[in-house]
Amino acid sequence: MATEHHDDAHDHGIAHVATKRTLLTNWAVLTVLTILTVSATKIDMGPSANLGLAMAIAVLKATLVCLFFMHLRYDKLFHSVLLVGGILAGALFVGFTLMDTGQYQETNIWDPNSPPQAPNAPRPIVNQ
Amino acid sequence: MSNAVTATADKPEPNFLEVTRGWKSWATTLDHKRIGIMYLVGILTALMLGGFFALVVRTELFFPGKTIVNQLWYNRAFTLHGAVMVFLVIVPGIPAALGNMILPIQLGAPDVAFPKLNLASFYLWCVGAACMLTSIAMGAIDTGWTFYTPYSLTTTAAVIPAVLGVFILGFSSIFTGLNFLVTVHKFRPQGMGWFQMPLNLWALYSTAVIQVLATPVLAITVLLLFVEHFMHIGIFDPNMGGDPVLFQHFFWFYSHPAVYIMIIPAMGVISELVSTFSRKHIFGYRFIAYSSISLALLSFLVWGHHLFVSGQSKLATMVFSALTFTVAIPSAIKVFNWVATLYKGDIRLETPMLYALSFILLFTIGGLTGLFLGILAIDVHLHDTYFVVAHFHYVMMGSTLVAFLGGLHYWWPKIIGKMYPEKLGQLCAIGVFVGFNLTFLPQFVMGARGMPRRYWDYDPEFTIFHQLSTIGAYILGISMFTQVVYFAISAKRGPKAPQNPWGATTLEWVAPTPPTLYNFPSPPEIPELYDYDDLVEDPEHGGFIRKPSTGPKKGGH
Amino acid sequence: MSEAEHEHSHDDDHGHGHHGSPWIQHHYDDARHQFDAGKLGIWFFLVQEVLFFSGLFVMYILYRAHHGEIYEYAHHYLAVKWGAINTGVLIASSLSAAWAVRCAQLNQRKGLILCIVITIVCAFGFLSIKYIEYSHKFHMGELWGKRFDPCATPNETPLLTKMKKCEGHVSSVVWDPNGGPDAIGGPKAGCLEKGDYDRDPKTPGIQAQCTVDEVQYADESRKSEKGRKELEACEMEKEANGEAHAKNAPCYILQINHNVCPAGPGAIEILKNESEERGNEWGVDVECNKAPAPVAAADPFAEAHEPVVLGSKLVAPPHVVTDEEEVEELESRPPPPHTNMFFSIYFAMTGLHGLHVLFGIFVFVWLLIRSIKGHFSEDYFGPVDYSALYWHLVDLIWIFLFPLLYLIH
Repeated sequence: MATEHHDDAHDHGIAHVATKRTLLTNWAVLTVLTILTVSATKIDMGPSANLGLAMAIAVLKATLVCLFFMHLRYDKLFHSVLLVGGILAGALFVGFTLMDTGQYQETNIWDPNSPPQAPNAPRPIVNQ
Repeated sequence: MSNAVTATADKPEPNFLEVTRGWKSWATTLDHKRIGIMYLVGILTALMLGGFFALVVRTELFFPGKTIVNQLWYNRAFTLHGAVMVFLVIVPGIPAALGNMILPIQLGAPDVAFPKLNLASFYLWCVGAACMLTSIAMGAIDTGWTFYTPYSLTTTAAVIPAVLGVFILGFSSIFTGLNFLVTVHKFRPQGMGWFQMPLNLWALYSTAVIQVLATPVLAITVLLLFVEHFMHIGIFDPNMGGDPVLFQHFFWFYSHPAVYIMIIPAMGVISELVSTFSRKHIFGYRFIAYSSISLALLSFLVWGHHLFVSGQSKLATMVFSALTFTVAIPSAIKVFNWVATLYKGDIRLETPMLYALSFILLFTIGGLTGLFLGILAIDVHLHDTYFVVAHFHYVMMGSTLVAFLGGLHYWWPKIIGKMYPEKLGQLCAIGVFVGFNLTFLPQFVMGARGMPRRYWDYDPEFTIFHQLSTIGAYILGISMFTQVVYFAISAKRGPKAPQNPWGATTLEWVAPTPPTLYNFPSPPEIPELYDYDDLVEDPEHGGFIRKPSTGPKKGGH
Repeated sequence: MSEAEHEHSHDDDHGHGHHGSPWIQHHYDDARHQFDAGKLGIWFFLVQEVLFFSGLFVMYILYRAHHGEIYEYAHHYLAVKWGAINTGVLIASSLSAAWAVRCAQLNQRKGLILCIVITIVCAFGFLSIKYIEYSHKFHMGELWGKRFDPCATPNETPLLTKMKKCEGHVSSVVWDPNGGPDAIGGPKAGCLEKGDYDRDPKTPGIQAQCTVDEVQYADESRKSEKGRKELEACEMEKEANGEAHAKNAPCYILQINHNVCPAGPGAIEILKNESEERGNEWGVDVECNKAPAPVAAADPFAEAHEPVVLGSKLVAPPHVVTDEEEVEELESRPPPPHTNMFFSIYFAMTGLHGLHVLFGIFVFVWLLIRSIKGHFSEDYFGPVDYSALYWHLVDLIWIFLFPLLYLIH
């Protein structure tokens, strides 16, 4: 291809140009990770370990998308700071809200007279 | 367009008001100053509407029992007063109206970074305002401006357009903030580093940070409320396992930082006014700059102090109470620095300065009473009383609106090119100060004695306080209305304003009055910030000019 | 607009003409200045988007932390297959979006158009799959909040449910009276929709028109003498089987309140017939049906009648269970209380994400038009880059939504 020589250029004009190899490798890794995370749920490692693994893979995938598809690897550091800052602000929101509801949620919202283990929902006609 | 305005030697470039004419040229303008003026007109209209509802509320409370309206309309009047004033007036007031007019000129930039987005956010504001008006036409909301669930899920359908309006206004605010952030980042001229920016820009920058970080949470909150109305998803509805306290978390995650969206730009305006009218370099420039940023960040850590009596858990309550006190630090830093700037200054009591001095006093009262409310034990007693009402009016109105008026008087000559009547302006400024205190000081007393807020009726022992308050509200209303009238007259036939009527040092006073389409005919030289030594009064045209003999660089002051 | 018009508007708006591309706006110094400003702007916008979605993540995490059992149960309703395919589709579209930026930067117009088209096709593919998933859920009543009224458990065991027209179902109102309708489907479910049902047992006058009132479960059954006996029998049966697992399984006691179904024409028959059709698994006690109390409804202040037990059923299979069987068993259980919250959260999150995909399609169609007109060049590819960044963020959100909603173990 005529433009092949561009592939090695780190900076073309006003912004970085991603190489074909980077894009394709990134895509392949993301696809493999997706298959991995689906198959990981088939193995029982306890709920928290399964959740942890699924989240770890998701974070890894997200990082790959950010670094290579979104060019953050080659971009101004400030843009990464912005993204991380936004996520931290979200984390703050989650953290404080959880800190509060951790204490009142169970008693106030769930009726203590009908605890969750008593099934008071539509019941099956057949139990099989 | 721009080809036509290429300056020739004999004919000066026309200013932005004259460069094109007709309503179409305004409706499709991308010029930040025109957009600012359109915002100003909209905001002043909304201010009068909100003020009208305030007077309805105050008049109703003149006597115990029914004075003019029944309970239902009383509820609607205070809700509309709150919703209109918060979402349509105070939040966009300083950033969108004054900020739009001034920010690019203070930066020496030709325009904001995204002029089309700027116009779009103005139209979003209009659509949001229209939704609010629709809700009035549909019988008005009576939820209070906070839309607390589950009541807001079961009351009239008028909540739906109001909530939609808030959603749209939120995006208007986000886009304005985004625009300002990029403008400050990318349009600072050569020679203006971060710490050569006027403090007003620091304040607008901090505000924009909050707008971008907090407002989307408001958007998702009201979106969920909107969806709840149509689809009954039950996130906030305890009937379906939802959590109404979660709504309050969502709401205040935005709305507490929103208080700082209201107050931080006001602080920026005051920093400019205090320095200019004391003819003194601002005291503690870096401290004021940093305190703006730290206020913006701290504002995200304290929202739970609105939930002290809403069933919030004990741990969260204590943490939020403790964090609330930290906000006092940057606020106090600013007040001390302003007072230190005034010290031994050559103080000129022109209208903007009267507002600035009012601000310092009223903000101090508002801030200190906030500390009372941050104390858990006292808050349980004072929560939902008139003490709270007085507290946040001292901050939102006594501070933000007063700073808005101060800033408006200060920049009016630059943008419109006409002077307002100075004596009348001073009289109104005093009227605002007296009326405001007469309205809200008695409310502190009432509240501490147990008068609950949002009540239509009250015990006779509170009558005298309510009557003082109502009289104050009318003084306030008359003073404000007079200003709107004289500004309108001044725009038509006020005397021509000099280029630098106040002898201020920031870049906008270097631009022509009124500025040209792209603000500066040629790239301006960055003046020494807050250095008043070179500025002398110009006996010929009025206002101030730079001493021609002195060079721009001076050994010190 | 034609090319000529573009040239014209260029003359109008960007008169200074000191830039390479006609799309560099007047107030920017040069192409790089405009690109950098736009890039910073889009990053601030993405931060805004992160915070916009953060509210939904707060909701998700909060309910997951406190009511994990809902998630453990309800995620079986979701089809992992479709979710995984959609993840693949989005990742592919992310690749094509990133490639589009590359093409624009290298002036490859055909490649750019192709990449944008692939992205749009993927976006439509994503939405189509979402449509398949959504329509199945609508069909089965696996919906949010008040609309939650599933026809079956995740392993497709039919559920006794409200007067819903689930296929093959003629069943009646069988909600638990204690918070049941609220907890699951909202108070307007079932009979109340026709204005003839009230969950307050003190006003039987309204309930009288309802065909069948409630099924009560173990907890409620303890309150009545007969119910307690039934329950004890059931517990003993469990003990006799001696399986450890069985201890956790509650005894279901099916009860029908006589005073709420005074005439009872057909109601109990329906249940009985249904039961017989299914091999009389409930063991409906016919004798209990002898004396419906027809006049009870007339007296609104009458004491609530003692429920009559129609039958009982042991849930736990009397043998050691394997993992698969455990899942199978879990899936055949009726939904735990407030399962509707899972679907509220599911629809809120995927719905808002879907709206973003939809918006992305509009953006990419706009890009397609502009790229066909040849607006983009190495000096001016900002819009492609910004749109791609937006698209990657939409992808990022899905990368988290997929394991959080579909892949719960």
